[in-house]
Amino acid sequence: MSYAELHCITNFTFLRGASHPEELTSQAQALGYSALAITDECSVAGIPRAWRALKHSAVKLIVGSEFQLRDGPKVILLAENRHGYAQLCQLITLARRRADKGHYQLFTDDLFTQTLTHCLLLWQPDHDWTQDLATGARLIQHFSTRCWLKATRYLAANDSQRLAYLQQLATSLQLPVIASGDVQMHCRQRQPLQDVLTALRHHCTVAEAGFHLQGNAERYLRPIKTLQRLFPSPWLAQTLVVAGRCSFCPSELRYEYPGELVPQGFTASQYLRALTRQGEQRRFPGGTPVDIQALLEKELSLITELGYEPYFLTLHDIVSFARQQGILCQGRGSAANSAVCYCLDITEVDPRQVDLLFERFISRERDEPPDIDVDFEHERREEVIQYIYQRYGRHRAALAATVIRYRPRSAIRDVGKALGLDLGLVEQLLSGLDWRDRQDDWRQQLLTKGLVRNERQARQFMTLVNMLLGFPRHMSQHVGGFVISAGPMSELVPIENATMADRTVIQWDKDDLESLGLMKVDILALGMLSAIRKSLDYLRQRPGAPHTLQEVPAEDPATYAMLQQGDSIGVFQVESRAQINMLPRLKPATYYDLVIQVAIVRPGPIQGDMVHPYLRRRAGLEPVSYPNDALRSVLGRTQGVPIFQEQAIRLAMVAAGFSAGEADQLRRAMAAWKSHGDLTPFRDKLISGMLARGYEPDFAERLYQQLCGFGGYGFPESHAASFALLVYVSAWLKCHYPAEFYCGLLNSQPMGFYSPSQLVQDARRHQVAVRPVDINLSDWDHRLAHDVSPPALQLGFRLIKGLSANSAQRIVESRPPAGYQQTRQLRDLAQLSRQELETLASANALASIAGHRHQARWDILGHDHQPAPLFVADHSGAYRVTENAVQLPPPTEGENVLDDYHSQGLTLRRHPLALLRGQGHLRHCLTATALQQAETGRPVAVAGLVTGRQRPGTASGVTFVTLEDETGNINVVVWLKTARQQRKPLLTAKLLHVKGILEREGQIAHVIAGRLTDLSHLMRQLQISSRDFQ
Amino acid sequence: MLWIYLHLPFLLLEHYGQSLPEPRPMATLQPGSQRILQANPDALALGVRAGQSLATATTLAPALLLINPMAGDHQRALEQQARRIYQLGDFISLYPPDGLLLQSDNLLRLYGGLQNLWQKLQQTLASQGITATLATGTTPGMARLLARAGLGACTDDTAALARQLADLPVMQADFPQQVTERLVRMGLRKLADLQALPGKELAQRLGPATLHGLQKLQGSRPDPQPRWHPPARFQHAMDLPQEAEQSAMLLFPLQRGYQLLEEELRWRQQAVEQIQLRLYFREHPTECLSLRTTTPEFRADTFMTLTRLRLERYALPAPAIRLAIRVNHFLPRDTATQATDLFQNTPPQQQAWQQLIARLQARLGENALHQLQLVADHRPEKAWQTTPPAAPAPTQPLSAPDLPRPLWLLPEPQTLTATPAAWLAGPERIQAGWWDGTQIQRDYYIARMTSGQVGWIFRDTQGDWYLHGWFA
Repeated sequence: MSYAELHCITNFTFLRGASHPEELTSQAQALGYSALAITDECSVAGIPRAWRALKHSAVKLIVGSEFQLRDGPKVILLAENRHGYAQLCQLITLARRRADKGHYQLFTDDLFTQTLTHCLLLWQPDHDWTQDLATGARLIQHFSTRCWLKATRYLAANDSQRLAYLQQLATSLQLPVIASGDVQMHCRQRQPLQDVLTALRHHCTVAEAGFHLQGNAERYLRPIKTLQRLFPSPWLAQTLVVAGRCSFCPSELRYEYPGELVPQGFTASQYLRALTRQGEQRRFPGGTPVDIQALLEKELSLITELGYEPYFLTLHDIVSFARQQGILCQGRGSAANSAVCYCLDITEVDPRQVDLLFERFISRERDEPPDIDVDFEHERREEVIQYIYQRYGRHRAALAATVIRYRPRSAIRDVGKALGLDLGLVEQLLSGLDWRDRQDDWRQQLLTKGLVRNERQARQFMTLVNMLLGFPRHMSQHVGGFVISAGPMSELVPIENATMADRTVIQWDKDDLESLGLMKVDILALGMLSAIRKSLDYLRQRPGAPHTLQEVPAEDPATYAMLQQGDSIGVFQVESRAQINMLPRLKPATYYDLVIQVAIVRPGPIQGDMVHPYLRRRAGLEPVSYPNDALRSVLGRTQGVPIFQEQAIRLAMVAAGFSAGEADQLRRAMAAWKSHGDLTPFRDKLISGMLARGYEPDFAERLYQQLCGFGGYGFPESHAASFALLVYVSAWLKCHYPAEFYCGLLNSQPMGFYSPSQLVQDARRHQVAVRPVDINLSDWDHRLAHDVSPPALQLGFRLIKGLSANSAQRIVESRPPAGYQQTRQLRDLAQLSRQELETLASANALASIAGHRHQARWDILGHDHQPAPLFVADHSGAYRVTENAVQLPPPTEGENVLDDYHSQGLTLRRHPLALLRGQGHLRHCLTATALQQAETGRPVAVAGLVTGRQRPGTASGVTFVTLEDETGNINVVVWLKTARQQRKPLLTAKLLHVKGILEREGQIAHVIAGRLTDLSHLMRQLQISSRDFQ
Repeated sequence: MLWIYLHLPFLLLEHYGQSLPEPRPMATLQPGSQRILQANPDALALGVRAGQSLATATTLAPALLLINPMAGDHQRALEQQARRIYQLGDFISLYPPDGLLLQSDNLLRLYGGLQNLWQKLQQTLASQGITATLATGTTPGMARLLARAGLGACTDDTAALARQLADLPVMQADFPQQVTERLVRMGLRKLADLQALPGKELAQRLGPATLHGLQKLQGSRPDPQPRWHPPARFQHAMDLPQEAEQSAMLLFPLQRGYQLLEEELRWRQQAVEQIQLRLYFREHPTECLSLRTTTPEFRADTFMTLTRLRLERYALPAPAIRLAIRVNHFLPRDTATQATDLFQNTPPQQQAWQQLIARLQARLGENALHQLQLVADHRPEKAWQTTPPAAPAPTQPLSAPDLPRPLWLLPEPQTLTATPAAWLAGPERIQAGWWDGTQIQRDYYIARMTSGQVGWIFRDTQGDWYLHGWFA
């Protein structure tokens, strides 16, 4: 006797299903079920995972969905075939689009008005005889032989009556009955978790949930023997009849690419070749090198073989649109940095400069579509998205979903809630937990901190938290993954509403799309592209300067010289403290060095201990050797040390004989390793493969350990290559046109690593003249003033906190030719509110017309409260400057400095540290500049504003503090012990004094902290009030 | 006039701290956020600050005790201190959440000078473990601001006080946030800066309220203070002319006392729920009897009836010499129960029901009377509970499934001794209760026993059979 379970939900029915799809499928396999229907509530989100798990098993997967009709019974619809699947998806889309995110609405009538000709219906009657007879008659009329009555046995008190009733109904309606488990968990032991989910769904604790909870744990996948005891055998047999009629398999979802991009008279392949050929002539005006020709041919024939032309044509189309609109963009990822993509302008990475792993470009074996991310200017990405919607229609283009899963914090919070623990205590615990500690440790912390009363409760709590970890919690919108289909999307996958108005997402996430072979284009936003485009635009004022990315001169020695000094604030990717420290050590001198620089300061290479060997070998302090030529070909470009993810994969192939497809599985396992992946299955294969190829056992072991070290954090060369280009361009701009560079950067905020204040200070250190915000000179954006050469940077109104772009626009548009003369005039012409005027006064933007900021504000507050007249004569004579009777004292320098910070986050006056030093507060403290000259190893004292506190995961227990003084930044290293002893100043000081030992690594000076002293109170001495210094 | 302001910065935390065996870092959270509202000195010493995120605070002080104040806690804590101060001087005003103002003019002679009064106040608060900063002022506002700024001194030197006020930063002058912000942003940092400006101009720019506030501080504008009186309380003591040897002898004097109480309650339009009778003896320690009515009550007759019932069960340990009636809380009269239902005439019924409960409780003791209630729980023994009489209806969802349950549930399941004669229904599997440590997993059946009775029996996971109830 066999059995098919036709009604089973997974944890993709959020807060109801208590098992992962994979758990259910493997349990069904173990029990010898012949088929398993995954019928999540108004969703097919659990299907891809179940399918992946059952692909090669004897258990047949049936695709279906459960619906609670608003005005009727609960029904289950199963897809009979591909058509049925499309109909199901459309029904789900309909129900989902009617309701808010996360909900759905379906009515009985929908079953009859929507096309469901290839769906099978399982009906769970309501136990109201008249009603059920009527419903049944209607269902039979529409679904005829595609309709079944569904029987369940929960071992409830009324089971026998329900069974008898069903029997009677079946006889009256002449309907077949199927047995069903109404499964919500794969095994009985999930009941506690099920109860927790129920409580969460009802916003109460488990103890309060009462009859919302199920009375027993019978909704699990039961052994067939048990089922035989519970159901008449014809009902069990009938499940096989239903399963037999369902022939749909997700592998049929062969994706059809949009076809409209190919003009008449061409095949897709011909057209792609033609476009590539055009690009070739543009890219290689002197003739394409032979090896590139060969590469192009190899790529194109593989694309043709796998039928991916439309994918590249689609990308080409999107990128062309961006180019027409002057939106800067750049592709990255293995497939992006191909010769074809170079010719199609999808990337600027020259295939001559980087050797990319062809196997990751597209792999025959993997049978998965290529993956390309395209970055666009962050402020203009929306234009691209709108273009895609417009070009393909909203019914064919949709965003992929991201499944938000339970993480430790959310799991602890929710289980705590359901168990009725003191939520304040839970929060206190969570905020006190150190997440970098090993998992066991924080579990221990939960127990020792007395959250729970006894051992039993503690065990229960931890078990539940562990079970809940990784459960899907809800669907969210992917950052930019677009799916575009040939036919209506909703026949492929259901579409639901996203939180953002007018956005819709499909029910599958990125991984699901991959496993089902659907094409996805990542449309991402990158701030640096906005900044570079703006800077290039400003350069149009400068004769002879480049205006496009392509025109920026390559391999400029001055640019590399600047980077080698660690002078990289504002430069893409290499501006963090760790990167700045690495620059003088790595001394990048070529484009490829930048590719390495981008990838090396990452947890993977750091934890795999690859940084030091690489630097030593590069500096010639250590010989570079290879066991054989095969390894030389893989590691030759990185001094024999694996730096990139691609190298790890190729190592597996070259040294251990992995096939390309196996190597790719290894990559996925590595990516997942930190969370739940497992590398051990690969270990034996790696090591035995290497031994068989004659490598020493300890070499093999070391290599395996290195691969483990990479974990999920290896950075791919294909992304680094694209990033390195932007590193170079931004560095070149900073080096040669700093005013334009900083202006572009400041106008693209917020982005990057540094605040406007830090950027402006750096600009001034690079001899850029910066002018303060002025009511008569500023625009909303910062701009360049070309009355001097090189141009000065005129700060814009966007810097002022609390002033809207609209108001700034009115100020600029209504500005009289001779400028505003008087605050009343400003108010009337620009229609500014009193508060906006005060904001301007605080920012000292009115200095030119109303005196110092104190007086300006007094002046504004003195305005009558009459609304401004509708028409105002624009002649300044109407606004006589009246002598104010009251003269307020002008602000001191300290007050001005603090007010500058308060109103716009930066000052162009003296740095607060310079003021304090002038007042004699910081005797014996070295400045950042003086520190450079000081002797290594000697005790020093420094002081500065705390601009950064970091505890990177890679440096065990060390806190890096960055202090800013009037001359630059000071790096402070605080060891764990020091940090523990002096928590208070470390965590709370805004102005910190540090006594310590000066150490150097190359040119970079660090102060190893000894004594920390909080000097924040000195900031108060800059003025009189006790206002908090922000 | 001279005012003394008492600023109690840690009032609430200290109020709670009184119940701790030893001091420890404590803080309150801002309502609805994860930020610190206030920290006590132990926490401050570790770097915990108001406005800090809970995460930072917990890192600084891992043993931080978080207090979740309930509505009214602040007021209660303040009133508690106000009562003590009220014993020193009767003109006081409350400044919630953490201040008290005392008009001291009449007291100076009584206490023999400001110095003595000042000390007395300090001692009173210190004995309660309450931190206080005191200040004098010629106006209420002046005393308050100086105290809050920690600038107070025991002085009545008018000129010196005025100078101190003028020197006070506007940040500490308790103007509305927006006004303070504006003042500071115009470089007006001290009250003296404000005092130097023409009043009209000031009022035009910062509103008349700002000018008035300043004038009240200076004393050039009256600033009447609401006078606080301790909440009412009833106490009536009677020295018995004749030692009472039996409890019945107390009834007569009590009658008189209750009449006074009723008069008081009628006049106040209030009622009481609990009355304390204190009995004093010559050599035996004082006894305290507590009487409770089911609903707020004000009639002497009811009190008398309850008292009679109570005293019937009470034997005097010794002859009583003195008797006191005491009521600590007055309640509003429950007009709802007195005046509802124009048509159904339920109030008297309801009243009668409550009076019955009150009498039964008085006779049998409070704990002897219960009421049954259903509970939403799958476990039969947890599906019902007893509650005090007239408890509010349960708020839980009670959509109890329509289940066959015996009317008579045995207090404890009993081992089944005989095989049933016939199986009528089942199994009903009940598996629940993992969360409170009393998990059950049972298969229930309805069966006819050989006796002919229909029983509710179950088998547990060990395979043992039990009888759990009888169907009528």
